[in-house]
Amino acid sequence: MKTFLLNSALILSSVLMVAPSFAHDPAEHAKTAEAPDCDAMKKMDHSKMDMNDPVMQAMMKKCSPAHAEHKEGDQHQGMDHGDMKAMDDKKASSSASHEGHGAH
Amino acid sequence: MKLVKWLLLMSTAVLLAGVTFIYTGIYPMGADVPHNRMTYWLLETLRERSIARAAADIQTPDLNDAELLLSGGPDYNDMCAQCHLKPGRTQSDMSIGLYPSPPNLTLPEDEQANSARRQFWIIKHGIKASGMPAWGPTHDDQRIWAMVAFIQKLPSLTPEQYQILTTRASGESNHH
Repeated sequence: MKTFLLNSALILSSVLMVAPSFAHDPAEHAKTAEAPDCDAMKKMDHSKMDMNDPVMQAMMKKCSPAHAEHKEGDQHQGMDHGDMKAMDDKKASSSASHEGHGAH
Repeated sequence: MKLVKWLLLMSTAVLLAGVTFIYTGIYPMGADVPHNRMTYWLLETLRERSIARAAADIQTPDLNDAELLLSGGPDYNDMCAQCHLKPGRTQSDMSIGLYPSPPNLTLPEDEQANSARRQFWIIKHGIKASGMPAWGPTHDDQRIWAMVAFIQKLPSLTPEQYQILTTRASGESNHH
């Protein structure tokens, strides 16, 4: 009985110690998350976009899966990268998530 | 000797008046009644001096990283936007109801208030009696720095950019 109580107390304290680490698990939010509105990127002024800007890089990464899905349907309806400022080739080529934009 | 007696008497009277004031409960504690100027200055100065001292030795990492924005954006949206707002939104129930009012982080602030180390410390440790929780016990430093990186960029984001950067789509992790 004494061992049982001791084991129970140990298990309970272990659970309580681990619980806070799950307090804000991103996976919980992913279940009800909305999709990024990547179509909005098409409407943006591409001449002002700077591919060295982390914000722009993050948006491209976020939207690259969506772009990959559309790639087979219509490769030229996505963003017009022609007007963008000089791209950091080193960063771009090292980022696998930019592969979807190669066809544009 | 007379002066010492007088000072002692006055100190005792002030102390008694203070204790009486506290115990009568006449100070308005509701968040819908602002502090008087003196109390506000005292609390604000106490808060800012304390944060400045505590955050002084924090080393800021390189925050210009797209991956940090992708991690910090969804966390900001889930944990902060309700009080600190997002692009295209000027107020919320929380921003109106909390006192002191939470700062609108979509607006460019002065350099000191906007410093990354200050924001990191506040997110990690929270602020007593302000509604700002301490996220440190449940979030590691890397995740908090990602939120700071996102907050640093927040004033320059459009609502469309914000929407893209803050979504936490299911299966997202498979793509990165």
